[in-house]
Amino acid sequence: MFQPLEHGCTLKKGDEALKGYRKYFLNKLFWFLLTFVAAFLLNFILPRLMPGDPVAVITQKVATGMQSQAAVQAVYQQYAEQFGTNKPLHEQFLLYVTNVFKGNFGTSFSQFPRPVSEIIKASLGWTLALQFPAIIFGWIVGNLLGALAAYLKGTFDKFVMPVSIFISNLPAFGMAVILLVVFAVNLRWFPTSGGYGFDMIPSLRWDFVRSVIHHYQLPFWSIVLIMIGGQAIGMRSMAIYELNADYVKYSRFMGIKDQKIIGYVFRNAMLPQVTGLALSIGTMVGGALIAEIIFSYPGLGTTMLSGIMGQDYPLISAVTLIITLMTLFANFAIEIIYGIIDPRIKAAQSD
Amino acid sequence: MIHTLQQIFHSGKFKLGFAIFTSLLAFIFIYPIFIPEAPLAILGQGTFFPPGIYVNVYDSLDTSKYIINQEGAAKRRIANKLSEDDRVAIKEYLVAAGVDESRIDITNTDELLQQWKATFDPKRSIKGFTNAKRNYYIRLNTALQSLYSTGPAIIAVNDPETNTLLESKKVTVTEYVNVNEVPTVRIFPLGTDNFGRDMLTELVAATKTSLQIGFIAGLIATLIGLTLGLLAGYIGGFVDDIINFISNLFIVIPPFVLLVLISFSIGQEQRGASTVAAVIGFTSWVWTARAVRSQVISLRNRDHVNLSKLSGHSIPHIILTDILPYIASYVIMAMILQISSGILAEASLSILGLGPKTTEVPTLGLMMNWAMIYQAQLQGNWWAYFPVLAVIALIAFSMNLMNTGLDQVFNPSLRD
Amino acid sequence: MGKVILEVKDLTTKYITRFKEDVYAVDHVSLKVEEGKSLGIAGESGCGKSTLALSLMGYYFPPLYYTSGDIIIDGKHISGMDPDEVRKTILGKEIAYIPQAAMNALNPTQKIINFVEDVVRAHNPSATKKDIYDMARQRFEFLGLPANVLDKYAVELSGGMKQRTVIAISVILGPKVLIADEPSSALDVTSQKMVIKMLRDLMDKGIIKAMIFITHELPLLYNVTNDIMVMYAGQIVERGSAKEAVFDPLHPYAKGLMGSIIVPEEGLRNVKLTAIPGVPPNLKHPPAGCRFAERCKFAKPECRVISVQIKEAGPGRTYRCIFSESELREAYKNG
Repeated sequence: MFQPLEHGCTLKKGDEALKGYRKYFLNKLFWFLLTFVAAFLLNFILPRLMPGDPVAVITQKVATGMQSQAAVQAVYQQYAEQFGTNKPLHEQFLLYVTNVFKGNFGTSFSQFPRPVSEIIKASLGWTLALQFPAIIFGWIVGNLLGALAAYLKGTFDKFVMPVSIFISNLPAFGMAVILLVVFAVNLRWFPTSGGYGFDMIPSLRWDFVRSVIHHYQLPFWSIVLIMIGGQAIGMRSMAIYELNADYVKYSRFMGIKDQKIIGYVFRNAMLPQVTGLALSIGTMVGGALIAEIIFSYPGLGTTMLSGIMGQDYPLISAVTLIITLMTLFANFAIEIIYGIIDPRIKAAQSD
Repeated sequence: MIHTLQQIFHSGKFKLGFAIFTSLLAFIFIYPIFIPEAPLAILGQGTFFPPGIYVNVYDSLDTSKYIINQEGAAKRRIANKLSEDDRVAIKEYLVAAGVDESRIDITNTDELLQQWKATFDPKRSIKGFTNAKRNYYIRLNTALQSLYSTGPAIIAVNDPETNTLLESKKVTVTEYVNVNEVPTVRIFPLGTDNFGRDMLTELVAATKTSLQIGFIAGLIATLIGLTLGLLAGYIGGFVDDIINFISNLFIVIPPFVLLVLISFSIGQEQRGASTVAAVIGFTSWVWTARAVRSQVISLRNRDHVNLSKLSGHSIPHIILTDILPYIASYVIMAMILQISSGILAEASLSILGLGPKTTEVPTLGLMMNWAMIYQAQLQGNWWAYFPVLAVIALIAFSMNLMNTGLDQVFNPSLRD
Repeated sequence: MGKVILEVKDLTTKYITRFKEDVYAVDHVSLKVEEGKSLGIAGESGCGKSTLALSLMGYYFPPLYYTSGDIIIDGKHISGMDPDEVRKTILGKEIAYIPQAAMNALNPTQKIINFVEDVVRAHNPSATKKDIYDMARQRFEFLGLPANVLDKYAVELSGGMKQRTVIAISVILGPKVLIADEPSSALDVTSQKMVIKMLRDLMDKGIIKAMIFITHELPLLYNVTNDIMVMYAGQIVERGSAKEAVFDPLHPYAKGLMGSIIVPEEGLRNVKLTAIPGVPPNLKHPPAGCRFAERCKFAKPECRVISVQIKEAGPGRTYRCIFSESELREAYKNG
């Protein structure tokens, strides 16, 4: 008698939750696609808003950077052909989008005749391997420290909080410079620049891998430390807020053990931190790119810098697009995960 | 109003932040009164002079002399002149000549030179040393011998008639000048930068420009954010949807990327400090707009607003008298954060080489950029970047403290 | 006289503020509740009635601290017990609590059934999932709540439903005493009625044996509880049956408090609404004599010096005032 009832009950309930989640998912997907299109549009339109004839401006920039007249001519032709500058705007946009989807970002000006896609391909992996682990790791450690500071209070809190506040007020490049000077220049524990030893050829040999790990440390920790500072502060105030919530008092008076209640509190305090991560990931990535530059890490940040220095328009355009898409995807992924872990989302949607 | 101010200044955090910030401001305004130098004037020929007092050598020759007998002065002089490379070379020779390596301590100048005196023989040829190396050691030995000479240095002037050098002065090893009596002395409290400019003067000017950039950016961002937030929150409906869409866009597309794209599109020539400030302002209003919107939505249906609506007041009137006063504190707090993040944004852009054009004024970001390009961080020229970082951190820290203090006053639940 | 279920002797508890000051929010309070009876506690906000509710649980966490006194529930002395022992054997089993804003008393990200499981397992770690579910469903249905509430999150429930769910969870282990701290203040009239009906049911069906009901809404107390106790500045100033306390209060404060309510039957026209002037004293530095003296219009100079003990005035009737019963009645007659 009891068994079928429970079964039917949860099935109906599960259906409702699934419906709620589907609604949430579709809503997020819609936003994701819309922003996706907008990102393409912005990347397409902004350079075309440049004062004067963009082709002339760009080729002029190229001409100053190159010696060979033939090369200039080749770039000019490539550019005109690829961007179809004499066609109407909407056709240009279509051309641009098809090119991007084929992975064709044109030819680099500053590293002529290397295709931009090849340069991006070489640096994208480095950035992904550096930033994603660093941001996730920093997020986890920062939240743990903030939660502990809220729970333990006292000396731990008095030590962790001022340090976190100070660190989070340092710009990302500031932290990078400090780590570089202390650990690479003065103590010489780590190399000052690059992604691996300059005398090495990338391979899967052990000494190469070791060199990569060695070069990885400082950029990684500079991002992690900045992340920890900001997250710890946010988590601490969320956890303090939750610790004073009515359900904590009620659960205590129902005789539930403190450890279990702390579990409720941290789960609830963590949830806004997840959305916080989604909202701030764009800013984080920006800071992390600058940190890459300080360490001349062979990622997108350094590539962007060399593009700017070399007035390499196709390269900059491609890098900014890739970065935007990266954060867009990360944001979407976080929102989707958030929908799964916070039951309130499903409940709110099924109303 | 006065009561609120009293409350604000009761908050320790706000007071500390306010004290740091006003001291910075005071320094920026007082310093140029005493040192009215152009911040970008190139003084030193060469890069990165370390901080210190620079005494004009020529002038000091004509200043009255004092004889001071200082113990250990000679030792210090020698120790200072013997470079690290020379010490290593001496060790190498000593080891090759059969001295026990464990007995050699290259940091102990006295002992090292004694060992050298006892061991070195210019005629002796040591196996494995090239001719060039032998000659190097002979030159080194001559140099070391002159170190021990205590005779005076002679200053000579050229006699234009006979075209010969005439001795005009002797400088002995115990002669001193009083720095206060030397007519031209230049103090570089923070050394010079890569172009030979006085770091402190430059830093003061840069802080001022950066604060201006931050302020303009913050003001623009706040104005845009406030307007859009008010519209979205108060009018709601379709307007709200549109504004929401735009701010969602600005959140997901990193503002940093937009900044780079726009700054690059504007081009180096058009990028003055105010243009950069405007660009930063136009890309960073989202948070203010969101905060204002949610505040307005919670206010929209309060009794006093409804009363105002029923009394037939116009929308601008309602917004000005019934809504704005209630969100003023939030807007001020948001603006403080916008200013400090504007300063950071300028610094990030400048490091990428997309900062204001470099000929007119320094900014904190540009100074950082110059230091990085000339690799100050790798050469140990800490004075070229550390003070800049410290100022950036102090500005951000003080503004954050003020903001937290305000927050605690206006949202009592956050007090701990 | 029935069997005494809850007895409190001279209970004193204090808050320690962040400036390390002691605030005695419950000051030498004694009370008794017999089987099948309910006691209402009334007073202005800040008078210590909610703190008394927390103190009665015998389970203290900062900033509230136990100072002295005794709490006896059905013969068990719980004030000297080890806190973990109290948690395991008393909370929820002997005495249970319904908090002020019950809408927020449930963890928003947990299903009701999972919370019930945590509650049951906190006292009986070996209980199986199926047993708990069975028991909870029975209890919920017995109290007129749909069983599917168990599978929902708190956010999916309406305000009144949340309130009733909290009550159902509070009594899930069959406690003898239930303490309800303003359980209905934040609800609309319909939900309020349902909550009151549910609390009465709990008594009638014998799920709980005694109840303490705390509120600032006096008419509600008159309708719900057998006895009423009035608190002022951490102390009991009056106790009597509901009827006595409402219609024939002795202590000037109780009198003032009752004067500020509207009894619907009499209509608005005949009632003079009187508010008590002034504010309650600061409990960091309580006044030496009678704590109400500052605001009392009958106060004599000695009221500010002599601290008054509780006086008996008939069976189950006590008050704390320097004047005698007859003097008070005389004073009230003359206004």
